Amino acid sequence: MSADLYDIRIIEPDSVFFSRGPGGVFQGVLDGKTYPELVVYRAFPFLYTTQYLSIRDPKGEELGIVQDIRDLDEESARELERELQFRYFLPRVTRVDSVKQKSDLWIWELQTNLGPTRIAMRNLHEFMQFPGGARIILTDINGKRCEIPDWKSLDNHSRMQLTDVI
Amino acid sequence: MPIPSKLPEPVRARMPGEPLFSVKTDLMPDGRFGELWFAVTEQEVALWGADGVSIFRLGVSELTEARAANGIGGGTLLADTETGPVVVARYTAALSPAFGFAAKLLTAMAKGEERPVVSEKEFPKYCPNCGNPLTEGSQSCPICKSKGKALVRMLRYAKPYKSQMAVAIVLLMVTAVVEMVPPYLTKVLIDDVLTPKNMGSALLWLVVGLGSTSLVMSVMQTVRGLIGVWVGSKLMGDLRNDIYSALMRLSLAFFDRRQTSQFVGRVNSDSEAMRQFMTDGVIWVSGETLRVIAIFVIMFGLDWKLTLFALIPMPFMVVVSLTLWPKIGRRWYQQWRSIFRLNVLVGDSLQGIRVVKAFGQEKTEMSRYSEANRELVRNNIRIEGLWQGMFPLFSFVAGIGTLLIWYNGGNSVIRGDLQLGVLMALISYLGMLFGPLQWISQMINWASHAISSADRVFEIMDTPSDVPDARNPQPIGTLRGDVSFERVSYGYEKHHPVLKDINLQVKAGEMIGLVGHSGAGKSTFINLICRFYDTDEGRIRIDGTDLRSISQTDLRKQIGVVLQETFLFDGTIAENIAYSKPDATPLEIMRAAKIANAHDFIVRLPDGYDTRVGERGHRLSGGEKQRVSIARAIIHDPRILILDEATASVDTETERQIQEAISRLVKGRTTFAIAHRLSTLRNADRLVVLDKGKIVEVGTHEELLAVEGGAYRKLVDAQKELSKIKGVEGG
Repeated sequence: MSADLYDIRIIEPDSVFFSRGPGGVFQGVLDGKTYPELVVYRAFPFLYTTQYLSIRDPKGEELGIVQDIRDLDEESARELERELQFRYFLPRVTRVDSVKQKSDLWIWELQTNLGPTRIAMRNLHEFMQFPGGARIILTDINGKRCEIPDWKSLDNHSRMQLTDVI
Repeated sequence: MPIPSKLPEPVRARMPGEPLFSVKTDLMPDGRFGELWFAVTEQEVALWGADGVSIFRLGVSELTEARAANGIGGGTLLADTETGPVVVARYTAALSPAFGFAAKLLTAMAKGEERPVVSEKEFPKYCPNCGNPLTEGSQSCPICKSKGKALVRMLRYAKPYKSQMAVAIVLLMVTAVVEMVPPYLTKVLIDDVLTPKNMGSALLWLVVGLGSTSLVMSVMQTVRGLIGVWVGSKLMGDLRNDIYSALMRLSLAFFDRRQTSQFVGRVNSDSEAMRQFMTDGVIWVSGETLRVIAIFVIMFGLDWKLTLFALIPMPFMVVVSLTLWPKIGRRWYQQWRSIFRLNVLVGDSLQGIRVVKAFGQEKTEMSRYSEANRELVRNNIRIEGLWQGMFPLFSFVAGIGTLLIWYNGGNSVIRGDLQLGVLMALISYLGMLFGPLQWISQMINWASHAISSADRVFEIMDTPSDVPDARNPQPIGTLRGDVSFERVSYGYEKHHPVLKDINLQVKAGEMIGLVGHSGAGKSTFINLICRFYDTDEGRIRIDGTDLRSISQTDLRKQIGVVLQETFLFDGTIAENIAYSKPDATPLEIMRAAKIANAHDFIVRLPDGYDTRVGERGHRLSGGEKQRVSIARAIIHDPRILILDEATASVDTETERQIQEAISRLVKGRTTFAIAHRLSTLRNADRLVVLDKGKIVEVGTHEELLAVEGGAYRKLVDAQKELSKIKGVEGG
């Protein structure tokens, strides 16, 4: 056992089942053991959003890694995906309505897959991240985040708004 | 208990009791954006729509505990019940503090414990006028405050030099007037001398007049230029000083979150941009405006109908300037960001140059640099290109005015309505307008550059310190050194506490060893005593006085620190030892060094105490540096001493020497020591074992060792095991 302690434990897709409890809490059965509450972490939140997911108990002890969400059965995959969406609250931007600099705040009016929102930044160089490719992560003064998965594939209006900020 | 968020009427009407706590959340239960009201009463926890529709309710009696499970960018309030955990509400990160409080309140209610008191800090602050978030610690909304504020604030720096600048402006006015003379003289020359072929002394005098005006002009230009340089350099000095002192004032937490190399560029380039605008910019603008006015006055005097033609292109130019203005500002900011990225990159790889070389990654670093560099080149071309394109456009448009005057004025001259000299004068005055025009576009450039710099500079200056000094600090005199921790919690990121509910009483003169795995919170513990950070909850008292009500200068005077990472400043060894006491006598410095076991090796150096150390100086070994820094702490003569892994990076013999020095140093002082090697803490009066931010054991080495299965015992056993493997020293 002690050797296992220092190895990454991969959860085999057929040894796990995720579901949602009556109270709306993410739960599951792993290797025959029932966990009334589970927490999921992304090991690579920017690079692999649906792969390498660390499943942990509420105390934060890692139970194992789900290698790819696609390998799971339908319900497990759906619930895991939903849980990821809750835990990693990162709405996808579908349209940039406007980017305005008002005094020393940058105000973004955005349409996202989770509804319209507005983001306020103190400046651009600390609150915009470019993790690679055409992806942009926007962070609000209060810590709220939104993601532009690919700014080049946004509509013309949105791209116009972005030209002078990226 | 105060209820800071006002519930809407329909919700209030349907609620079964008085709300104890309520807050507006910004997410629906399915994770979409939407507004719901979360409210707690004595009987139940509930979630309401603004129209009074109940979304969720749970009786308080069913609760066993409540937790705020914070994710990334948002979180969930969970309630534990007999039948398992239940999701109560979801929220974005802005509301984490409020729901963190809600969880505590609910837990206290469920367990019948004392309820926490809500404070303003738990709620995100929004401007009452525009609804935009307010930055922490500030009450004024950055959007609602006047737009020209950065400009006005920037110009305030010019205030001490207003007399010099006034002289420069007066000179400029005079120049503007004198400049008007030559075309007028030319007009007289053509109409009164050349055309009538009137040979006489008039020609000579007119030429002398032309010559002397140009002489006067060059003298005045020189004087003005010198004033500009003088004021400019002074201004820049003031600005740099202010930025630097603003940086020094900021707390450690500010720097933890940022790369420090970026500030080098900020201090220099931003102050330069602001200087350029204020000296060149302000003087030129006022001068050129005067010139334009003077030109138009004279032109109208000569022939007002023709002058109107020259004005035709003006509205166009104004419109173009106004539309381009924000664009140029953004492009400047873009260019600045590329420079910023480049600076960060260089700073990073040079600081880590050993790692770069060791892994042979020079090529990767070079390609990373050239990529960022390409980006900068691109942005440079964009911004410079924009403004290079603007000036010719402006000249061309203004040139249309000249053409109109040529055509209409020419007609008048042919008809004999207008003298040739007047036409020539008008044309040359119009030509003189091109100067100011060029400056208009240059000015747009300067001003937007300067304002975006000023924004960044003032951002630093306006950042409130996380550890503000008390307004009326209590004088503490010389401390005894009693330290007490009362229910202290702290997290670098709020709501990820690194220290939780720490209680500890330390008597004056006691030596406390802090023990625990890395990440257990040992360093944080020490940082809190130094007040590099303020506790999130609870308080630390020294001699019974709250740390927050002691002025930081007084506090630091009484605290000495020896860190694992010894940092020696550029200067001599003597200067480094006397860092906290610049007036120390050579004898005092030597005494301190002697106690620190450093005197002998220092004297043996060719330059002795005058050896230059630091970045450009002599390279001391790790142990030598360590002993110099111990001497620095000794001369400081602190009542409270902090040793953070002071012997981690040295060999056994050096460690013995340092240990010896330390044991002399700790005598009679309250000491907090962190050491990786538990053996070095043998002298400690008490050991405090930390695990995951909590104190798990307190006692002497022997007491703790006797605890079967205790945390300390495990640590000691693990270390013994390790040293057996290494075959070097025993635990």
